[in-house]
Amino acid sequence: MYEEYYSGLKHFIECSLDCHRAELSQLFYPLFVHMYLELVYNQHENEAKSFFEKFHGDQECYYQDDLRVLSSLTKKEHMKGNETMLDFRTSKFVLRISRDSYQLLKRHLQEKQNNQIWNIVQEHLYIDIFDGMPRSKQQIDAMVGSLAGEAKREANKSKVFFGLLKEPEIEVPLDDEDEEGENEEGKPKKKKPKKDSIGSKSKKQDPNAPPQNRIPLPELKDSDKLDKIMNMKETTKRVRLGPDCLPSICFYTFLNAYQGLTAVDVTDDSSLIAGGFADSTVRVWSVTPKKLRSVKQASDLSLIDKESDDVLERIMDEKTASELKILYGHSGPVYGASFSPDRNYLLSSSEDGTVRLWSLQTFTCLVGYKGHNYPVWDTQFSPYGYYFVSGGHDRVARLWATDHYQPLRIFAGHLADVNCTRFHPNSNYVATGSADRTVRLWDVLNGNCVRIFTGHKGPIHSLTFSPNGRFLATGATDGRVLLWDIGHGLMVGELKGHTDTVCSLRFSRDGEILASGSMDNTVRLWDAIKAFEDLETDDFTTATGHINLPENSQELLLGTYMTKSTPVVHLHFTRRNLVLAAGAYSPQ
Amino acid sequence: MASPKSMRKDAQMMAQILKDMGITEYEPRVINQMLEFAFRYVTTILDDAKIYSSHAKKATVDADDVRLAIQCRADQSFPRYFLLDMARQRNQTPLPLIKPYSGPGLPPDRYCLTAPNYRLKSLQKKASTSAGRITISRLSVGSVTSRPSTPTLGTPTPQTMSVSTKVGTPMSLTGQRFTVQMPTSQSPAVKASIPATSAVQNVLINPSLIGSKNILITTNMVSSQNTANESSNALKRKREDDDDDDDDDDDFDNL
Repeated sequence: MYEEYYSGLKHFIECSLDCHRAELSQLFYPLFVHMYLELVYNQHENEAKSFFEKFHGDQECYYQDDLRVLSSLTKKEHMKGNETMLDFRTSKFVLRISRDSYQLLKRHLQEKQNNQIWNIVQEHLYIDIFDGMPRSKQQIDAMVGSLAGEAKREANKSKVFFGLLKEPEIEVPLDDEDEEGENEEGKPKKKKPKKDSIGSKSKKQDPNAPPQNRIPLPELKDSDKLDKIMNMKETTKRVRLGPDCLPSICFYTFLNAYQGLTAVDVTDDSSLIAGGFADSTVRVWSVTPKKLRSVKQASDLSLIDKESDDVLERIMDEKTASELKILYGHSGPVYGASFSPDRNYLLSSSEDGTVRLWSLQTFTCLVGYKGHNYPVWDTQFSPYGYYFVSGGHDRVARLWATDHYQPLRIFAGHLADVNCTRFHPNSNYVATGSADRTVRLWDVLNGNCVRIFTGHKGPIHSLTFSPNGRFLATGATDGRVLLWDIGHGLMVGELKGHTDTVCSLRFSRDGEILASGSMDNTVRLWDAIKAFEDLETDDFTTATGHINLPENSQELLLGTYMTKSTPVVHLHFTRRNLVLAAGAYSPQ
Repeated sequence: MASPKSMRKDAQMMAQILKDMGITEYEPRVINQMLEFAFRYVTTILDDAKIYSSHAKKATVDADDVRLAIQCRADQSFPRYFLLDMARQRNQTPLPLIKPYSGPGLPPDRYCLTAPNYRLKSLQKKASTSAGRITISRLSVGSVTSRPSTPTLGTPTPQTMSVSTKVGTPMSLTGQRFTVQMPTSQSPAVKASIPATSAVQNVLINPSLIGSKNILITTNMVSSQNTANESSNALKRKREDDDDDDDDDDDFDNL
């Protein structure tokens, strides 16, 4: 029965006009899957098998992985265990079709003999109609691929505050300027606070930036202020990158990891590297000559002079100095690691379902946050500290605060595992990349999903925000890097070049260059400024979501750097725009 | 890859399944691992099915029992509507305000791992006949310097006590040492945490706490030792509920 319906529809679509055919072809895949699942659920095993045999070859190539999984689901019991498939059955697949094509389809399906398909279409598909030109196959191919179809236009309409928060004014006191000998000349002048160039331009509130107190953020401590001063000093020495001034790349290769390296993080000031391993350990190395020390015992601490200036040095125990510290505690491979911005804490998330907070002063575990009951694939501290986000196999991402043992927010909506979680630079939004091939942007304040980005053809493994907060770059197993404009909710670029999963992405400190690292053992540098200039953001584009991506991957590629069979697991730009990359040597 | 003829039937089947699922490149060990997993899974399910069928007083195990076993063992994740509901509830509460100057932001102590997970038993008349002792040295630490401060005899002597109160002395250049009494003498320097007898307390050594402590655990401990250790535990904690002596939460007396 279903075979007839499907063949009938197929015939109709193939005979329709060229301009409509591309759009109507979008119907094939969801209808195929839903019909197949219906047959399996109602235990018509043989019909399901023959249905599958007959039509699975017609589907688009990028759905082949899904179809393979489907082919193994032949009984109702198989379906019961697969949460993703069950969700797929109950949720509606979203299709975006122009009004003309839709009229055509409706007219055909409402004919007497096609009533059944019309019912199926109404039950399982959500057709988002837009007025305008039908889309070409190329445009459609760029946007489809996710497990639930595309995103409804209204899902991407809400206002997102993508601007950055204002940097607090910090006066640089005279005492701290000991190295800057050249420009001093002994003049005891009081320097004006060195604000970043972004902040000094606008005294008034950036309309795209969230209000300072939209979400509660921790206050700056004195040590944070000192850090910021250091940061500002480093910024002055920063190299401006561009197509003619590419950064040097320093690669940290983990030897003898035997494919056990599962997570890497580097502190913002590039002084520490943490590695999470499949043997459940987290190892912290010091990259600078300064060794890692733990705090003295309590009995010794009572003996030191608390009023001395270098008390922070004195509390450290010289006897425990070493370059490597190993942290034991997890009972499963460690899949995510994140340093806190003040370098006091390290977070690690593991297959055992917990996220652990480690102190980097005592090198012991402080808290285990239990909430996910399944492997936690990624975790990250907020850029201001205090909050952190974690995402795992249970298809949700959770927002925690270090002093609450339960999550503050739960971001539920993905159909499959949440592979990657990142904070926006203003800490008001969290982006999650999932195995259902979508990227969602969530509002921390109320937990709402404010953006859904579809277009990847494989599970997403890496995300990064641009430093100005306006753009998001995502990488997936399909080897493409996609660029998204957060404000408008559109795809603005596609970078083709990698041949394997893109597992790490990072923008340079001023956003001029995007570095991508992949399992194909290369690091590629892309020209971000060029990718984001000349954006068409007229009303038509935003209303209909039509995008016209230029085929300029080759022009944007600034360099490809090969490693010796080392997948690039992590990328980091130092404050002076030197690239640090990390990976484990895995000889074939 | 070995030619199909030399592989066992089930290994051939596994290779075929891998091929059907589109996996073309894999290490040869993968087949063995998959076979082992399949065996383990099937035996677990069948064991459960046997239990269910005997509970239903059936003579043989039939398909229904197996179905029930699979269902109960499946990783039941929450259905989507449940997750969305739970999320909506949780997301309605406003974000809590952050108190300034509140020290290290950690949850209440019950939810942290910063508490001591052992309790020292108070000194009592030495009744057990512990003859030997095991000296367990720290894993990553170099030589275990044995100094006279480590009592190697089980007799409580004032001499022992006075020496053992020196926590944090250079004796532990190399760090920490655990001394566990055993009723029978065994080879020294065994690198494992051996379960304690009744004579000795607190042997569940939380590895994450090892790093910062300097603990000598013997039954000859005096309370002074106790306080020294306890205070070292409260390194980064608030001191409100710092009554460590009465801390009953982590009482691992009987292991």
